Amino acid sequence: MTFARRAFIVVWKDLLVERRSKETFNALFFFALLLLFVFQFAVGPDRERLAGTLPGLLWLGFILTGLLGLGRTFVVERENDCWEALRLAPGDKSAIYVGKLAGNLLLMFVVEAILVVLFGIFFNLDLAGVLPALVVVIALGTVAFAAVGTLFAAMTSQVRARELLFPVLLLPVQAPVLLATVKATEAVLLGEPLGSVAHWLKLLGAADVIFVAVGVLTFDFVLEG
Amino acid sequence: MVRIVGGVTLVALAAGLVMAFGVAPREVTQGNVQRIMYVHVPSVWVAYLAFAVVLVASIVYLARRVDGADRLAHASAEVGVLFTGLTIATGSIWGKPTWGTWWTWDARLTSVSILFVMYLGYLLLRGMIEDPDQGARYAAVLGIVAAFNIPLVHFSVYWWRTLHQPPSLMKPGPGTMPGVIVAALMVNFVAFSLLYVYFVAKRVNLLRREAEAAA
Amino acid sequence: MPDSWGFVLAAYGLAAVVLIAYWRRLVRRERALGAEHRSTVRRA
Repeated sequence: MTFARRAFIVVWKDLLVERRSKETFNALFFFALLLLFVFQFAVGPDRERLAGTLPGLLWLGFILTGLLGLGRTFVVERENDCWEALRLAPGDKSAIYVGKLAGNLLLMFVVEAILVVLFGIFFNLDLAGVLPALVVVIALGTVAFAAVGTLFAAMTSQVRARELLFPVLLLPVQAPVLLATVKATEAVLLGEPLGSVAHWLKLLGAADVIFVAVGVLTFDFVLEG
Repeated sequence: MVRIVGGVTLVALAAGLVMAFGVAPREVTQGNVQRIMYVHVPSVWVAYLAFAVVLVASIVYLARRVDGADRLAHASAEVGVLFTGLTIATGSIWGKPTWGTWWTWDARLTSVSILFVMYLGYLLLRGMIEDPDQGARYAAVLGIVAAFNIPLVHFSVYWWRTLHQPPSLMKPGPGTMPGVIVAALMVNFVAFSLLYVYFVAKRVNLLRREAEAAA
Repeated sequence: MPDSWGFVLAAYGLAAVVLIAYWRRLVRRERALGAEHRSTVRRA
């Protein structure tokens, strides 16, 4: 069975499970909605201050929902004793990583799309012109986030205090990615062309390549034992 | 053997102190407060050295499953976190009289802080996994991810601080400093590096003996 | 600018305290292991 097919099967399985239960998606959607209120209350009604913090708040929203969603990546396997099955499956275990990563990316993109729409509505943003550029930035940042997140989710799924350890490990590693995405989003929302933040985008691209490569190369060692 | 290293380290540290306070001159703009640099900069140097060793040891462990590599990674991470913490603390203490504030998000302090939490997480992970083999594997993976993140941290923080903003007041590299100051810095580099070797050697020994005792 | 020797002392003092404390922790654990080893060997 080829690598791509194995990865695809993992994604398909997760999608089917999710489509039947919808538990993850519903909860995340509701959480994203709640975040909007929290942000509004935390920052206050001053429109200018809000406008200034908007890129940061948007990514904060992505990260908080991402932490919840990604942290659960392998929990469903452990709960149903599928972890052993995954371990014993013959062949390249990295295909499982790629499959899980693809599933997580799909989840993140859907949640992010919803958050962007909600932000646009609640904070009255004009997103029409900047959407393509915004999508590029979000895509680049999310791949880095999901790549490390999927790897760490596998590692922490085995640990007692996994809900604590997962964010504790993931957030410091995401710090540079967060810096880059917020700066780039800031520029994009102001209507500046992507070229003006080329260095940030290159950094994100490098992060994407590095983190996915490390994930693919080391996942075998995580799934062992 | 380790005792000899310890002895040499002590001598080197003493030499470092002499250089820092006796030989190096009072700095022109900052005054004597600048002497903190002789403990702050070697600390950060040792921290990076430690984490580089963690990277190499982690890769070796995953490739070859040599227990010694795992112990080296563990010990080096621990000592690295120690020196990183020291870097942050001394940096903060230097900052108060120099910039008037205990904390500032300048490039170096910010980068080092991210490093600190990353490798603290590494130690936390090790502490939380009971199975030694699994702990070693997972820590190795984390050690690799963290190390590859370091250049990303550097660039992102540097750009974050310097683009559209005046560069921080942090001292430039040795290239632009007078020779005596560079010499004092070098002596302290060597002293701190020896201290690193001494600590890691003792720590690795301890880990090995703990593993043997548990067997 | 005033010399702020207090800060210099604080920085070096902190470094000394932290490094010496770590060294003592290592030495103490080594001794504990040594004593444990001796007692198990004696028993064996």
